[in-house]
Amino acid sequence: METLRFVAGRFLQDRVALIGAVLILLLVLAAVFAPWLATHPQDVSEFHPADRLQGPSLAHFLGTDRMGSDVYSRLLYGARITITIAVIAISVSVLIGVPVGLVAGYYRGWFSELLMRVSDIFLAVPQIVLAIAIAQTLGPSIENVILALSATYWPFWARLVYAETRSIQNEVFIEASIALGVSPLRVMITHILPNIMSSIIVRTTIGMGGTILTAAALGFLGLGPPAPSPEWGRTIAESREFLPDAWWYATAPGLAIFLVVMGFNLLGDGLRDILDPKIRRSRTHDR
Amino acid sequence: MKFLVLVVNRCLWFLPTVLGLMVITFTISHLIPADPIAAAAGENATAEQIAALRVKFGLDQPIYVQLYRYVLAVAQGDFGISLYTQRPIVFDIATRLPATLELTFVAVLIAATLGIPLGVLSATHRNSPLDHVLRVITVSGLAIAAFWLAILFQLLFAMKLGWTPLQGRVDGWGPDSVTGFFLIDAVLMGDLEILQDVAAHMILPAATLAFPAMATIVRFTRAGVLEAINSNYVMYEEAMGFPRRIIVWKYVLRNALIGTVTQIGLIFGILIANGVVVEAVFDWPGLGLYAVSSILQSDYNGIMAFAIIAGVIFIVVNLLVDITHGLIDPRESR
Amino acid sequence: MTLIRHRVTHTVNRLRSIGLAGLSGIAVGIALTVLPITEVEAKSKFVFANSSAYDNLDPHIVFDVGRVASRINLYDGLLRWEDNPPQLVNWLAESYSISADGKAYTFVLRKGAKFHDGSPIEASDVVYSMERTIALKKGASALFAGVVEPGTTKALDAQTVEFHLSQASAIFLATVPEIHVVNTDLVKKHEKDGDWGTAWLSSHEAGSGSYELKRYDPAIGFTAARFADHFMPWGKKYYDEIDFRTVVEINSRVLGLMKGDFQGTDGYLPQDQIIRLKAADDIAIYEEESMRIFYAAVHNGRAPMNDINFRKALSYSFDYDGFITNILSGSVARDPVPLPNNIWGAPKDVKGYTYDLEKAKEHLAMVKEPQRELVIGVLAGYNQSEQAAALLQNGLSKIGIKSKLLIEPWPVVSNKMRDEAQMYDLVFLWKSTYYADPNNWVGEMYNSSKIGSRNNSWYSNPEVDKLLDEALISTDMKVRAANYEKAATMVMEDAAGIFVYNTKWFGPFNKSVQGVRFCPIGNGQEVRWMYPKG
Repeated sequence: METLRFVAGRFLQDRVALIGAVLILLLVLAAVFAPWLATHPQDVSEFHPADRLQGPSLAHFLGTDRMGSDVYSRLLYGARITITIAVIAISVSVLIGVPVGLVAGYYRGWFSELLMRVSDIFLAVPQIVLAIAIAQTLGPSIENVILALSATYWPFWARLVYAETRSIQNEVFIEASIALGVSPLRVMITHILPNIMSSIIVRTTIGMGGTILTAAALGFLGLGPPAPSPEWGRTIAESREFLPDAWWYATAPGLAIFLVVMGFNLLGDGLRDILDPKIRRSRTHDR
Repeated sequence: MKFLVLVVNRCLWFLPTVLGLMVITFTISHLIPADPIAAAAGENATAEQIAALRVKFGLDQPIYVQLYRYVLAVAQGDFGISLYTQRPIVFDIATRLPATLELTFVAVLIAATLGIPLGVLSATHRNSPLDHVLRVITVSGLAIAAFWLAILFQLLFAMKLGWTPLQGRVDGWGPDSVTGFFLIDAVLMGDLEILQDVAAHMILPAATLAFPAMATIVRFTRAGVLEAINSNYVMYEEAMGFPRRIIVWKYVLRNALIGTVTQIGLIFGILIANGVVVEAVFDWPGLGLYAVSSILQSDYNGIMAFAIIAGVIFIVVNLLVDITHGLIDPRESR
Repeated sequence: MTLIRHRVTHTVNRLRSIGLAGLSGIAVGIALTVLPITEVEAKSKFVFANSSAYDNLDPHIVFDVGRVASRINLYDGLLRWEDNPPQLVNWLAESYSISADGKAYTFVLRKGAKFHDGSPIEASDVVYSMERTIALKKGASALFAGVVEPGTTKALDAQTVEFHLSQASAIFLATVPEIHVVNTDLVKKHEKDGDWGTAWLSSHEAGSGSYELKRYDPAIGFTAARFADHFMPWGKKYYDEIDFRTVVEINSRVLGLMKGDFQGTDGYLPQDQIIRLKAADDIAIYEEESMRIFYAAVHNGRAPMNDINFRKALSYSFDYDGFITNILSGSVARDPVPLPNNIWGAPKDVKGYTYDLEKAKEHLAMVKEPQRELVIGVLAGYNQSEQAAALLQNGLSKIGIKSKLLIEPWPVVSNKMRDEAQMYDLVFLWKSTYYADPNNWVGEMYNSSKIGSRNNSWYSNPEVDKLLDEALISTDMKVRAANYEKAATMVMEDAAGIFVYNTKWFGPFNKSVQGVRFCPIGNGQEVRWMYPKG
């Protein structure tokens, strides 16, 4: 309880992390309350060709798109897609990566080696390269974007958890538990996991930003959910044909991506400083 | 001795890693829902012709035989025939690789020449307004979607202001190709006009790519410099009365740059990843654009070739970085 | 920096040393980009900015209208389509005759016609080109399937070639321009492993066309110089050199045209760009009604689309006016039938369907089949296909029909369209002019004998079949025209597809370009007729 209060106090003092948290909160609010916040909620699937490509006005805060739909309302619904993709993809990655890292870190032997080598191979290639290959093969849809991202992002957590597990394995309390005959599963869950939780949280926060960027890039390349989905990446791709006149069309979703990713990056940086006193002295290390 | 072990170890892992990459692409390409053979056979192919093509391409063999053949072919640079252009993919890629490499070099050059000094300044003027501004910039660099930045650049500099071309690598045919690097070729030709044109086309895509890379470099240089400044020997030198400026540039930077150099692998990852979308926006005739048009044409062979080549470039760069790191950082080989 | 450069060169070296095959491929690649350029001074040059990439030059492989320039300027056929409405004119053939049973076509070649390397064009080259087209099964081969069998085409002498059709075909002549004649000896010299020279011809040229290939790079385009010895006499004025470049971005094409970097670009720009160009001083916009219809192919063989009332509900649910007037700014002409408005045989004064949700609901109420979610196919990378699909989805949702879009690249779409099980419930796409005969549209799209190949609607109506079959073998133009009119109207009444518009061509050219001749087949890109002003 004390530590929680300590962390919370620290958090409120850290302006950067706070800004990040606020940005993320805004995203979540936008997504959850999209039907109420949107001025034209029906425009996710409804079009008004006669009103196309109109500039920002009171009726349309961010103008209209090529189908005459309200850009602002679609932006809010796009937030839902972004959150869905990022949260599921990251959850799956964590659920695969953490157990793999724990097992590989706890046990020694060929199986551990194999697990880590496989994740190294995935890490040896930029995520988007494999994600493109997978998404292209499976076809464009939200599910497949999530699959492609999960398949390429899990090794980050495996690597991290592996390294952390190895480093605390020799600590007295772990060795004591093992000597007392506590089952390995129990040691991992009750002793190791809580001690490396802060690293996982930091990595996960920053990972959210990266995932959102990659997902948007896939959408931009036409590998994301199909039209008329208001997904941000594909909205930007759609808008290119109407530049320079319809500048609002391309600007709005790009800015949204920017702010959200920024939010996760700032929060991640801040959390690292707060949760990891070892590197508190300089807000520097990235990995 | 330790260093030698490191090098041998790294090199030994090179092959399995590349092999693993091929297994991954093979696995992906064999999940394909649409039938590539039917596509290759053409509209009027009969069932027998398709069956014959299956045999010809070895798709009737057990999976492990197919995998073996695939690895063997790729190792010899045979990525198959592009289902769209009907040419060997290695040929298509060979004509596009120089464009990507040139763009990447220029982007790294910009990122490093701006990023390193800014990183040093940021560290030496810690918590100053300059530091804060730089921090905002670096945080932005890592949060902005590259394709959006590219579009914003186009909108502002090419469409509104008309300062740069909108897209492409050169107007028309460009310089006589000697190296495939247009900047160098233009210099070799001594044609200033073409050089100017090539440079003008280069600015926006290179700047788009350089921005996040620069952000990374600033971050790591700053961290490295701060760490070095706080280290014991610098404090010692300072106590001995050496001027601070000399200490920073002579001692601190050298050590700090080790950290920066090791980040080149990371930077390369950024460049390859963003290269795909940046080339697509600027219609830059490189590897990334090839990947994008392969996506549009459903050319699975082309996509897999891109994944392997981009992957191998990335792996090789990281291998070299590791070795260089071992060479220049005595701590590593202790 | 030298450090980094060193590393990357190392990377390249590593890549190169991957294997001998890779090495040779790269060598070829480098050699290609080093192809010599002949310096021309003060020679007139026509630069065209094209939206699609010239990624293959083989005239027997490439068949789409977007890449027509390489075929029409570098190669020749026995006959050629010119002008609008298209006329079939003698080209490499000086004359031809048709046997009484309509099965044997004999062409006499012009004397003295030469390939670019100076060797004479002979009947055997035509035979080889026909065989190559059929054997490759790409490009135009589909036009000859079931009509010209391999080995049936004969060279009677050096000047005379005879085609023996498996069945009489009223449209054979219309397809003859697609038999692009290649230089047999040259192609055979570069044949590898029985590939009919496809690897070589993809990036080289072996033709006789008005222009001779000088330089080619799949990522840039091609340049070609005037072939002075071409068998068709040249006018007094002409362009010495042509340069077709790929410029994907619409804005770049428009800006380049306004700056004078390009003399012409494609005629299917979005309307707001056309308006922008019209305001520019140096640009002339030629306007022609083309022959390229936009429609939705509907799977008539699958429930609930096998119910005519459901199909009518579909046809009443599309906002034709919103699409044509608003989204396309009136740049196309409403066309309610599966034939371009401007071709002979197109029915006049048919009303077609309108956007009428009440009527759609009435028809929907008569449908007995249970409702389900429809899958609407969309061509990836084509905004219009996507927008039309989204608009239909919009209309359908208002009458209570759910649907989802499936955006897939053309190769996937075209594969699926040939498979009854995989075909989408409906898919929006264009049907361009491959040969200017009504059969190109309604005949291929709705004859039940073409089901699974070019009838992708699984539409079968014995009456329509009868009309189309009769028109296909009849030599009486009146009968043919009347039959196509009737057939097109019946298909429309059956609501076999959703027929939207016929394209207009707005050809933007620099005002200095004279003599532009538009033909729906060549898309106004046959440069031999053009010349610079003054």
